[in-house]
Amino acid sequence: MTNKAKAKETFGKAMFGIAAIICIIVVVAIFAFLIIKSVPAFNKLGIFDFVFGDNWAPDRNDTFDTENISGSYGIFSMIVGTFAATVGALLFGGVLGYFTAVFIVFFCPLKLKRVFSSVINLLAGIPSVVYGFFGIVFLLPFLSNIAPNNGSGLLATSIILGIMILPTVVSLSKTSIEAVPSQYYEGAVALGSNHSEAAFMVVVPAAKSGIMASLVLGVGRALGETMAVVMVAGNAPTYPNSLFNSFRVMTANIVMEMGYAGELQEGALIATGVILLIFILIVNIIFNTISKKSVKSLVEKNAKKSSVKKPSPFALIKEKIAAIAYKIKITSVGKVVAVGAGVLSGVSLILIIGFVFVNGLPELITNPHLLFGKYEFGSENVTILPSIIATLMAVALSLIIAVPIGIMTAVFLNEYTKKNNIFVKIIRTAIDILSGVPSIVYGLFGMIAFVKIFGGSSSIIAGSLTVSIMLIPTIVRSTEESLKSVSDTLREGSFALGAGKLRTIFKIVLPSALPGIMSAVILSMGRVISESAPFLYTMGSVISAVPTGYGDSGATLAVALYQLSGEGWYLNEAYGAAVVLIVIVLSLNLLAEFISGKLTRKLKGA
Amino acid sequence: MSKKNNMITEFGQSISVQNANLWYGDFQALKNINIEIPERKITAFIGPSGCGKSTFLKCFNRMNDLVAGCRIEGDFKIGDVDIYGKTDINELRKNVGMVFQKPNPFPMSVYDNIAYGPRTFGIHNRHELDGIVEESLKAAAMWDELKDRLNKSALGLSGGQQQRLCIARALSVKPKIILMDEPTSALDPISTGRIEELCEELSKNTTIVMVTHNMQQATRISDKTGFFLLGELIEFGDTDDIFTEPGDERTERYITGRFG
Repeated sequence: MTNKAKAKETFGKAMFGIAAIICIIVVVAIFAFLIIKSVPAFNKLGIFDFVFGDNWAPDRNDTFDTENISGSYGIFSMIVGTFAATVGALLFGGVLGYFTAVFIVFFCPLKLKRVFSSVINLLAGIPSVVYGFFGIVFLLPFLSNIAPNNGSGLLATSIILGIMILPTVVSLSKTSIEAVPSQYYEGAVALGSNHSEAAFMVVVPAAKSGIMASLVLGVGRALGETMAVVMVAGNAPTYPNSLFNSFRVMTANIVMEMGYAGELQEGALIATGVILLIFILIVNIIFNTISKKSVKSLVEKNAKKSSVKKPSPFALIKEKIAAIAYKIKITSVGKVVAVGAGVLSGVSLILIIGFVFVNGLPELITNPHLLFGKYEFGSENVTILPSIIATLMAVALSLIIAVPIGIMTAVFLNEYTKKNNIFVKIIRTAIDILSGVPSIVYGLFGMIAFVKIFGGSSSIIAGSLTVSIMLIPTIVRSTEESLKSVSDTLREGSFALGAGKLRTIFKIVLPSALPGIMSAVILSMGRVISESAPFLYTMGSVISAVPTGYGDSGATLAVALYQLSGEGWYLNEAYGAAVVLIVIVLSLNLLAEFISGKLTRKLKGA
Repeated sequence: MSKKNNMITEFGQSISVQNANLWYGDFQALKNINIEIPERKITAFIGPSGCGKSTFLKCFNRMNDLVAGCRIEGDFKIGDVDIYGKTDINELRKNVGMVFQKPNPFPMSVYDNIAYGPRTFGIHNRHELDGIVEESLKAAAMWDELKDRLNKSALGLSGGQQQRLCIARALSVKPKIILMDEPTSALDPISTGRIEELCEELSKNTTIVMVTHNMQQATRISDKTGFFLLGELIEFGDTDDIFTEPGDERTERYITGRFG
């Protein structure tokens, strides 16, 4: 190798290394931020009193130095609220999702199958404010017929969260059911099982760990969700005593109060975020354990005592239940339930999109000012044009920051480091942890770090930086997945021809991984557009004039939708904004699917 | 499923097929096949890959129904029963068991694997199930090996054990006929030997139809042999005759290893 070539290689490696270091700095900064900001609050308030106290009445004059604090800071009612909402979401979305997945794999007519699966995938991209908006305009009025209040509370929250986790549960469960070798099905059928029996008794149980993992992932999503919950839960800091009383979850606590929090209050809010993060980490650990537990672990399961000799009372009960289940043809009942679930999922998803479109499209057509109007201060005439422009500016800047850093970090981790390097393992774990951090916690971080750096008030640059930090873990992860899927024989082939590392990476590895990377980038774009919690206090929450530069503040489209729907005065405009938001996000998702499909085909030479 | 209880069809043990044709979409995989397979004997189907022998085998328990675009014509009778007539398909598969090329134990315990079939047909009494498990494992000559590990996962067994477990599982519903689709192609010679012994033992009470690529296997254990080529049944007769004086030149070329 010539000196020049050598220098080039070293330079390349350094560049990738720098990206990785930036990544590490970000990770460390966020953890440091969380610790530095929450520890004084924990100290002042006492961890036990903070976690198990159930009176939340902060006083914004309390500081870390105040001798006798006058407010109370106990979040137990919100912990209970968060768990109740999550369990509720699991009851609706988990059960419905499980049966819907079974429906899609086993009972869905072949022609519908592809459409149904891709519709479900697309729904995963719908912004959470849209779900919350649907809750406000449809679910709450509907529930208020049977509720003593306006319909808000645990039931509404559970239903909305349930619908939100539905796509996650369905697509993951479906993938793991489809991964069960077809021999199991054939074996069962060859023994005389009918279709439903083979499905419910052999194939679905074989996919048990994957289905469990999908439920756990759904739980993670429900725990971290902010805006949709804020819009339907009521948000009074009390326990959810009934299906219909106003209650508050932990994410809501942060988003409700961080705009005007005093010093100790801010610490307590960040501490709330830390407690939430701990719960999410536990859920993620459970998820990882379950998904690693493949069928193989079944092999290692040791025999308990042989039940041939000692039938336990439990076995007897199980036997009775099985006999009854056989008599009432449980698998046929299961089939009916699965078909019902599939129909219900389909209907509720069509309902959401349909309802928003039916109400929003006429508004867009009859009120051109909404889309193309000029902003006037204090005017009743709302325009979302500034929001659309602010959103596009945020998308552009955050991708310019996050995509190169993310991709280069992934390349560094995957191509330049040894598999078992402890240092690399730590980075990977940190990135994994970051990808589970709820978006509202990023919002907190951005508000305290970036907003201060850029002059103390919210701006598009502060918002974009906040979101780009949120995107990095996802981009690193999915790029790494794509890099890993590039076969080593390709790399070896390139090296064998005398190509250097850089050439191999740029000419062989990255092009082969391109479909995956591209779709990660496009999905990130969709995520910036859908997110609202991290923008509220970093980029601005008021629709104002068209921004002239990155120093201006501006509400993104999702934030605008939240604002418009909140007061109840601008519902028609909100419908219009929701339609625009859905159209943009869904087209991006379609584009991602299309591009990755097309590039994959091109790579395969077809 | 109510049919399962009301309609009890008595299946015989012989198979009779007339004018069988089968298409996968536009491709004709079986051409005008006629055959009489005797009861309680071992019948082997031989022929080069893609000649239709496995496809034909799967007609007997209607596993081809699972293949999209598959169309079947002709008379298929088991005993006196027209299996493509009004027969309950699950009842048919209970009576015509199948062992697959690759062992496919379910991801359950040994016990639950064997109890799966009986449970499907409504047996949930523990003592009865215990009896069936023991009986089936004994019939597959595995009881002594496995009686102490009934609760262990079947996936932990060796390949040969897994395949014999699949045979035991097929036996659990007391089939009258067992179809075997290259049951030993994934196994070592010792496991293969065990399964061949087992087949000979089983053929005292059960009709066995086996697809094999191994001509020695066919000569060792089968009573009847059918030679398939390009979707046609070229020749069918006593195994001894087929291998010593084949009536068709193509059969001779195949068994002497000149093509295939």
